[in-house]
Amino acid sequence: MNTEKAAVAASATTTSMPIGKRIVHFLVSMKLALTLLFVIAILCIIGTILPQGDNVYLTDWPNNPLFDFYQTLGLFNMYYSWWFLSILSLLMANMLVCITKRLPTTIRHVVRPRVDVKDVFISNQPVSAVIDGEGQRVMKRAVKALSGRRYRIRTGASGTVLGERGRFSGVASISFHLSFIMLAVGALLGAFLGFDETVEIPDGRTAPIPHTDLQVKNNGFNLETVEIVDKGRVIGYRPLVYSSDLEIYRNGELVDSKVIEVNSPLRLRTYFYDLLNLEGINFHQNSYYRTSRGYVTVLGVNQLPGKNIIYLGFIMMMGGITFGLYFPHRRIWIKVGKEGKLLIGGRSHRSKVSFQRDFDQMITELRQSPQEEDKS
Amino acid sequence: MDLIKLEEILFIAAIFSYLVCSGIYIWYLVSRNRKAASLGTALLALGLTAHTVALILRWITSGHAPMANHYESLSVFGWAIMLFYLTAEKFYPIRAAGALVVPSGFIISSVALVFYSGPEPLAPALQSIWLWIHVSIAMLSYGLFALSFGVGFIYVVQEYLLKKNYDHVMGAFLILFALLGLVFGMWAGSYWAEPARVIADESTGAVKSVWSGSDYAKMFGGAGVGLVLALFLGYAAGKGASRQAFAKRLPSLDVLDEVSYRGIAFGFPLLTIGIVTGAIWADQAWGRWWGWDPKETWSLITWLFYGAYLHTRLTMGWRGRHSAVLAIAGIVVVMFTYLGVNLFLSGLHSYA
Repeated sequence: MNTEKAAVAASATTTSMPIGKRIVHFLVSMKLALTLLFVIAILCIIGTILPQGDNVYLTDWPNNPLFDFYQTLGLFNMYYSWWFLSILSLLMANMLVCITKRLPTTIRHVVRPRVDVKDVFISNQPVSAVIDGEGQRVMKRAVKALSGRRYRIRTGASGTVLGERGRFSGVASISFHLSFIMLAVGALLGAFLGFDETVEIPDGRTAPIPHTDLQVKNNGFNLETVEIVDKGRVIGYRPLVYSSDLEIYRNGELVDSKVIEVNSPLRLRTYFYDLLNLEGINFHQNSYYRTSRGYVTVLGVNQLPGKNIIYLGFIMMMGGITFGLYFPHRRIWIKVGKEGKLLIGGRSHRSKVSFQRDFDQMITELRQSPQEEDKS
Repeated sequence: MDLIKLEEILFIAAIFSYLVCSGIYIWYLVSRNRKAASLGTALLALGLTAHTVALILRWITSGHAPMANHYESLSVFGWAIMLFYLTAEKFYPIRAAGALVVPSGFIISSVALVFYSGPEPLAPALQSIWLWIHVSIAMLSYGLFALSFGVGFIYVVQEYLLKKNYDHVMGAFLILFALLGLVFGMWAGSYWAEPARVIADESTGAVKSVWSGSDYAKMFGGAGVGLVLALFLGYAAGKGASRQAFAKRLPSLDVLDEVSYRGIAFGFPLLTIGIVTGAIWADQAWGRWWGWDPKETWSLITWLFYGAYLHTRLTMGWRGRHSAVLAIAGIVVVMFTYLGVNLFLSGLHSYA
């Protein structure tokens, strides 16, 4: 609710702001983030319709009189064009600013939550109630009800009690957003320091691996197939398993060997395996084709520094979004008011209806037959 | 062989029970008969059990998770919708919404039957532990988005009913049914067309259908017939729904708004995990974690869409109809990512 009011207030003030300030305001706004998400989605759709990369040479596009112009624009290599990457960078920058703006509040919620509050603060919460009866006594039961609902209880100097759930929701959200920065850093490291090559090796031959002092020998390609039947007729064969028996050499000396399959690559740790995965070289069975002289293995060879940063990003992304959305931050304050009655009120960052339902249920419990519970 | 037959029989039995359940849930809306309600729930649970056993049998006979072609994954999709609906029904008073969600699950399961094919060996690229992890998580997220869509639609209908705006209620039903009729009519037509199949890619064993003019005629003919039938059904449904008494039988706007949001709030992290497990798998198979393959790109588009939904809701305070309309629109993106990409765009995911 606060953010809504703030947004309204902000839009009211922006109209009176000078143009420069207004631009800055827009650059750090949620409006820009949403616009960018929309623009990126539209561009991605275009990218799946227009042929990308080498695929364009399988189409009629190269015969188009404007083909060279389109190529210069990067239409057929859109995802790596300067303007697409700029839009992604703008989104990252916008996200970083938004995270930075939210960071102090998020840290305060975790480190120093607000426990001691005034009576008015509680009654002004989105959900609140006043419970008749002897305040202190009801308080005990209310605290019990809260901890029974897995709320973490804190008691302030003035005797006010704060029950909290999902305290780390905000941190999780920030972790999720930061994970994109990790992916970007990892991808940049891979693009500038690593390599990704396709090497084709006929059965029984040896080929050098670019960017390295390694040679790879294909000791044998193996293929098992099954028939594909359409309307009772065999129309071809479907590969069931295919593999290549590889040996890796450096200066004539055998370094490593493995029979690789599509989902089972050879991972070579040539020097030492450090945090950035700087020296790991991977050999993947990407594909194969047949010539008159036999089969040719299509090998994908790559070295991707920054892979560990990317995997850390994956963990932050999955963990962040799961904790952020499944465990919303909920706070309930309880206090004995000036008139001796118990004041209770709270708020939930998300899932407001189910919070309201839980809260109402708890209030009903607290108002019902206090004697019976006291006895037990 | 017997197990394959048993699987087919159980699956058809499940679909039959879903059909009967769809009728019961719709009748419950009209009659408010409590016995009908509990009968519907019990029968749905029974159908779901048969469906579960059918899936397990398919897993055993094919030797891999039932997620390798359209029949298997659509079957899992329908199963996920029913499972999540039953779970949601246990925790929220949304039985009235079942009149839309249960028929949706029924339609998707019966489309699976249209694509029925016997157990087949896995393509080399799919032979990985990641297959069932990646696909089942993605399917669960699709099921949740479908739930959000259904509940979002009911939200819009309920809002117009409360405003006594019956023209809009009718309009909403007609648009929904027209779209469903077009899509499913086209699918039925394409099943009837039986195009020739050729090998598209020798190294993956991908098979491509070659369509002739008469095949297209059957496909669009099917779409036309589907549209006309659906408009009649939509008109009947809209007429039946346009009564003030009906509004009292639907859940309150607050509950509908919350359930629709929750579907996405639970679906979005699952979609995230689905995309990340796909990236990890691609890294293992091809040595790259992201390659702008059409399926990857469309999953990103879906993800951006629901990411935008969450931002409008959680930081800009959108509620109610705006959110519901987004939840409805989202299913179009999901369906294209799931089926459209395989039908219209080629790429590494074109195995089915």
